[in-house]
Amino acid sequence: MFPGVDGFHWTFGHVVFLGLFFAVALTIFTTVVRAVWRSVEDFRSRRATAICWDLEFAGMPEAERCCRHELAGRVAERTCPNSFDCRRCAEYEKFAALPASSPATSFGLDYPAGRLYHRGHTWVRPESDGTYTIGLDDLASHLVGKPDSVELPEPGAAIDANGTAWTLRKGRNEVRVRAPIDGTVVETGGADRGWYLRVRPEGEPNLRHLLQGPEVTAWLSKELERLQIQLGAPDAAPSLADGGILMDGLMDAMPQADWDNALASTFLE
Amino acid sequence: MASYAVADRRWIERGVERTSTLRFALWLVPWALLLALGVYAAGLCLRFGLNQTNMDNRFPFGLWIFLDLSIIALGAGAFFTGFLVYILKFKELKAVLNTAVVVGFICYSGAVGILMIDVGQPLRAWFTFWHPNTHSMLTEVTFCITCYLVVLLFEYIPVLLRNRQLRRVPSFLIFEHRLHLLVPVLAAVGTLLSFFHQGSLGGLYGVLRGRPFAFREGIAIWPSTFFLFILSAIAAGPSFLLLITSLVEKVTGRKLVEFSVLCRLGRISGLLTAVYVAAKAVDTLAWLNRTSPSLGFAPWEFYSYKPFGTWLMLAEIVLFGLVPAVLLLHPKTASRRGWLISAALLVCGGILLNRFILTVQTLALPTLAFDEFVSYLPSWQEVASFGAVVAYGVIVYSLSYRYLPLFPQEKREGYRVSGR
Amino acid sequence: MKKRRYGMVIDLDRCTGCGACSVACAAENNVPPAAPRATERTGITPLRVQPVSNGASGPARREVFIPLMCMQCGEHTPCVSVCPQQAVEVDSATGIVTQMPQRCLGCRYCMTACPYHARYFNWWDPEWPAGMEKTLNPGVATRMRGVVEKCNLCHSRLHAAEDKAAAANQREVNPADYVPACVEACPTGAILFGDLADETSAVARAARAPQAFRLLEKLGTEPKVYYRSNRPWVRALAEPRTVPAKEVQRG
Repeated sequence: MFPGVDGFHWTFGHVVFLGLFFAVALTIFTTVVRAVWRSVEDFRSRRATAICWDLEFAGMPEAERCCRHELAGRVAERTCPNSFDCRRCAEYEKFAALPASSPATSFGLDYPAGRLYHRGHTWVRPESDGTYTIGLDDLASHLVGKPDSVELPEPGAAIDANGTAWTLRKGRNEVRVRAPIDGTVVETGGADRGWYLRVRPEGEPNLRHLLQGPEVTAWLSKELERLQIQLGAPDAAPSLADGGILMDGLMDAMPQADWDNALASTFLE
Repeated sequence: MASYAVADRRWIERGVERTSTLRFALWLVPWALLLALGVYAAGLCLRFGLNQTNMDNRFPFGLWIFLDLSIIALGAGAFFTGFLVYILKFKELKAVLNTAVVVGFICYSGAVGILMIDVGQPLRAWFTFWHPNTHSMLTEVTFCITCYLVVLLFEYIPVLLRNRQLRRVPSFLIFEHRLHLLVPVLAAVGTLLSFFHQGSLGGLYGVLRGRPFAFREGIAIWPSTFFLFILSAIAAGPSFLLLITSLVEKVTGRKLVEFSVLCRLGRISGLLTAVYVAAKAVDTLAWLNRTSPSLGFAPWEFYSYKPFGTWLMLAEIVLFGLVPAVLLLHPKTASRRGWLISAALLVCGGILLNRFILTVQTLALPTLAFDEFVSYLPSWQEVASFGAVVAYGVIVYSLSYRYLPLFPQEKREGYRVSGR
Repeated sequence: MKKRRYGMVIDLDRCTGCGACSVACAAENNVPPAAPRATERTGITPLRVQPVSNGASGPARREVFIPLMCMQCGEHTPCVSVCPQQAVEVDSATGIVTQMPQRCLGCRYCMTACPYHARYFNWWDPEWPAGMEKTLNPGVATRMRGVVEKCNLCHSRLHAAEDKAAAANQREVNPADYVPACVEACPTGAILFGDLADETSAVARAARAPQAFRLLEKLGTEPKVYYRSNRPWVRALAEPRTVPAKEVQRG
């Protein structure tokens, strides 16, 4: 194997054979080490969350990757190529300038106009002190009702947009709620306080990836339609389409439904 | 739904359907029992030695070597598909790439596992690395298979980490992503390694000057069997993949890949089988007329011990070579599922027959004038140990199929599985 | 020291098939008694005596006993090139094919390669009945289960002879000091042993005789074990079988 070991010969064949072997072994080794190293680098440079989100987004059903401008009726059909991150969308301005059409109703759900909404069903509200409050939006709150437990990040922790902001537990389901923006957690709330996190972003954040105005109700309409199909319960669902009101604590009310799938779609798993 | 079923469902890819947890568990039970029996038998061999087998001094290689050679040849689909997809850019075959990796990993790890029982002193396996005899085909096989098993492991890991729950761990997902980007490098290395060890497995017999039935002349240090084994392995690999995919489709009752992918596999297999048959025929003629007589052995003598007659040679070349090659290349038969599967079965059967003839007939034949034609029947321990490898393969594949995105083309309306 | 080529010429016309060589070999080399379940094909017989008949019956029947051991192939040595870990080598000084059981992995590839079936695998743990360990030869290491062994022309005796020569400040081993156990034990003196490279030695001269032959010579492995017989049908046994199987039968 090595010079000095019994059986090693400085012959042409021997050297070629072992040289090839070591070259191959080294290639395999370097490849794996490179993969590990690049992974570590991704975490160090805080790219990891974005990459994870991109990968998961790519794995989502096409119907769930619908562009906000399609929801708002500005464009006929468009699948988002940017993982719902309009901040890096080159065509955002072009579409945003078009007139939107959307239902006038918010389906009996509470979506205040002063807030911005993330596709993972969180809302963001700018505060006067430069911090942002983050909470679970009304549709998600109606689904989950009162969570069995909530796991919030510690104040001082950093959260990344589209990364996990906090996790909810409800029965046998665990939900990862995606963070709508980047920032440092300043204060934590909870389900009963109406908001979950207060974060301070670095500098002035770009929030154009969040939904607002007419887009919100259009998005809601699509989400309710999806839920109706996924939960597939003939007794509860039609009321939604008929303009009925989404009942509070739907998970408790319909324990037999396919919540695994519904929650995954709702919270962009 | 019972709570275990809910928990189980959460590990299964979204958008695909799998059988119920209970039915899946029941499916695994017999295989687990077979595995347990085989592990017990292998334990007997390790504890009490190879006297538990029916091998002997005249028949030092037996069932295990024959099946090792066979499953390594059938597992060639893994490297060859990787080669076709990443190096030759056959994008269509991406549909079966993941399943090829899993099958390859099972075949190679199973073969290495059996080899570890087959040698008399398994703890000395590292001696081959420390004091390698670079003239030995077995050294090359050992080095290449070890390296290739590592390659397969790192090709399998990204598939594994794509599991729905494992993917949720950010570091797993990132590592999967980074490793996946480098997989073409591994595919290239795997191709190099596979070419050499598939060949060297053939060389194993081709260099046996003392066994004129197996001995072959060749190019430089490589006897002709070196090249024939490479050819036959890459011919059978796609066929085996075709069979496995069809079998899984049949067992699960789901459509997993487009039929055109299977046709593509069949065509590749057919083309290579045709080349193999031609090369094998030339090689056989050269051996009959030149190699064997030059060593003092009349080749027809080898076929005078029933039932190992010349029909075996003809069956290998015509029935298991020429016939499936024609079936796979003729547009009419190649586009019918039934013919495609039958032809693939023949190609894989031909590989088994070839490895059987080279292992068993070679050893059974006499060399000295006063030798007997010897026979050998494997003991239950040998059969059970190998059964364990089959059971291990079925279990690993079943688990992989259930919990990993093996078939990117398997979809329910609107869903796309994230296998790449 | 000049290069030697140790070999032997076995006179099959003198061999009575008594098996003394076989017993002497086993005793010299610490071959354990056969395990209870051992068969003809799983036992360890580095030197075995094979009875062969001419296939005839009645008064025309003739028999010969062929002592078989490692043929010490000198060229293309089949077992050497196949061993993955250099546990088999041809000693360039003596021409002896050496086997290192302590390095052997037990893959049995060498056994597959050997056309003379002269290699034996230790299928069982070596066991000696209580008290019999006193008969063990202290100069030879016993072999463990799971490794291959074979005749090495009583290598320990060669070492002893070389040590003796070195102690006496002699460059060459005295031929009388190095005689393998089988040669020593043969009551009819059928085995002639010595250095084939020494043209003048008795063994080299006997090997050149027209009645001398080697088994499967056409394989080109240049065995250093020769046989001799005045009977043509015995000499024909050197060639592989070219007649229907029933005509040559094991005795």
